[in-house]
Amino acid sequence: MNPAPTNDNPFAGDNSGIQQRETAARWALRVGSYIVVLITLAIMLHIFVKGAPVVFQAKWPFVNTQFLTELPATLHVIEDQQGNHIETDVNGADAVKKKLGEDFRAEKTISYSGGGILGPIVGTALLVVVSVGVALFLGVACAIYLSEYAKHGKFLEMVRLAILNLAGVPSVVFGLFGLGAFVLTAPTFVDVPAERSVFSIPLGFTTLSFEGWDTCVLSGGFTLAFVILPVIITASEQCLQAVPQGFRETSMALGATRWQTIRYSVLPFATPGILTSSILGIARAAGETAPIMFTAALAFKDKLPWQKDLPPLPADASIFAHWEQSVSRFLGIFTESVQALPYHIYTLAAKIPQNEYAERAQYGSVFVFLVLVASLAASSVLLRKRLRAKYRW
Amino acid sequence: MSADSTAQSTPPPVVQVRDMDFCYGASKALFDINLKVEYHRVTALIGPSGCGKSTLLRCINRMNDRVPSARVTKGEVLVKGKNIHDADVDLTQLRKQVGMVFQKSNPFPKSIYENVAYGLRIHGEKNKSVLDEAVERSLTHAALWEELKDRLQANALALSGGQQQRLCIARAIATVPDVLLMDEPCSALDPISTLKIEELMHQLAHEFTVVIVTHNMQQAVRVSDYTAFLHLGKLIEFAPTEELFTNPREKLTEAYLRGTFS
Repeated sequence: MNPAPTNDNPFAGDNSGIQQRETAARWALRVGSYIVVLITLAIMLHIFVKGAPVVFQAKWPFVNTQFLTELPATLHVIEDQQGNHIETDVNGADAVKKKLGEDFRAEKTISYSGGGILGPIVGTALLVVVSVGVALFLGVACAIYLSEYAKHGKFLEMVRLAILNLAGVPSVVFGLFGLGAFVLTAPTFVDVPAERSVFSIPLGFTTLSFEGWDTCVLSGGFTLAFVILPVIITASEQCLQAVPQGFRETSMALGATRWQTIRYSVLPFATPGILTSSILGIARAAGETAPIMFTAALAFKDKLPWQKDLPPLPADASIFAHWEQSVSRFLGIFTESVQALPYHIYTLAAKIPQNEYAERAQYGSVFVFLVLVASLAASSVLLRKRLRAKYRW
Repeated sequence: MSADSTAQSTPPPVVQVRDMDFCYGASKALFDINLKVEYHRVTALIGPSGCGKSTLLRCINRMNDRVPSARVTKGEVLVKGKNIHDADVDLTQLRKQVGMVFQKSNPFPKSIYENVAYGLRIHGEKNKSVLDEAVERSLTHAALWEELKDRLQANALALSGGQQQRLCIARAIATVPDVLLMDEPCSALDPISTLKIEELMHQLAHEFTVVIVTHNMQQAVRVSDYTAFLHLGKLIEFAPTEELFTNPREKLTEAYLRGTFS
């Protein structure tokens, strides 16, 4: 016998504690997420509002080319009797003062806040190139070994633990390590070992001396490489593991050696992912301040790394001499200390008296820095999308 | 003796497993296996899941080496008269001559041409005309040439499941192995693709020796000359297929064929 239909809702909620808790949990999680989004937007907006006016301008070419193409310099601000402020550099200050004559009231100088930030941009680019080069080589080699060769067991567990720990080391510790290892003791070829050399091995035509590389791009790049190494190893290993085991089995079953299998059936399909993750490594390397403080970065430098005074070649110098000088000029880039964006921002924000001019330079640098890092991240996402579409299995 | 005269008239078996025990770590997977695989015959390994038939197959090209702690603990495996566990056996040469097709068709995400040429390339073949010739021959053997000859540069993943598995067969026979091991090659395929591969196996037996693992008894009847029935790691019965299916000597075989384990 069927029960008579009623108009009562048989599925009505009872508004019990369970349902109330469900609603509360949903809202708590939702509010938490919104707060995160809000803060992120606030940071972006703040930097855009303060930084964009420094980098962009209303007149053609709409971009402040001076800011992007000049080296940092001391800013001279001259005030006249009417209270107008005239900004100029060290060379223009006297002319402005002479022109004002009686009208001159006061002159202020603000370190590092004039000119542009080409030096830090170039320095950061060089540091990134060296660090990512070193970290990719070591990291991918390590990941391949761990993923394809190493036997599962205690040793592998220990290596993984070491890598995890490396990821947790504070970056200033890397900075000190870099100072000790690369700046002061790394091996280099010299004719006469320096007095501070830890020890030296005479090789006849030259001497291998453990006297360090001094503060330079190479020291900073190697230090940064160790900072991003865990990221690259972990990501590369994941990419290798994502390649189906069947590819390896098939390749081995066809008589390929392990290396042939890796070279032809694993690496080609893992490379897109490895490259993508290394771009994220670039963003990390570009952003670190502490590891380069003692190893590569200067607060101020009035030359780009390749602007070095080399003895002029005689007029009849051979092509070889020219070639040799070009090579040494190129290699010299990596043995120069440089300015770097994060360290430049730190200097502007913490090492000089704060005023509107210093603040302008700060936000301009931060804005450029953020745009560079964001475009790296965006290109990594794009690259991943394109390569994913190409290599699907 | 007549036994001696027959031994002289027929060639020695291409694969010979003698008194072999096989272990995964501490647990024994195969017990005292004896098996002879004759040249240019199709030999089927049948048995319920977990009976060790795939493990036995993978002993023949030492694919089990990839599994840590897996090893042969007793007896020996001879291929072409050579103990394949001897120290002077080069695994790459062994696997070049004992090819394998897996359950899951797994072409590389490369072109059809590169898939088939892979085995030759890793063994150092660079001559374009040799590769071209091998690709055509292998695809013809795998009954794919007519379908694919105009799009050899297309990605192998664009093929249907059955085509992919036949491509894997073509890839395995490109190095002209003596033995072709097939590990449930049809279990992931539809009936029509399965039929095509079964037809193929008869053709392949003219040139290669085929050992196939299958869970499908009808398939064993259709394709094989000899059948080995395994149960719980032991080889229960090994006989010409017709004999094994029509007149099994062992009770266990009969029960399995009837679908009733008593």
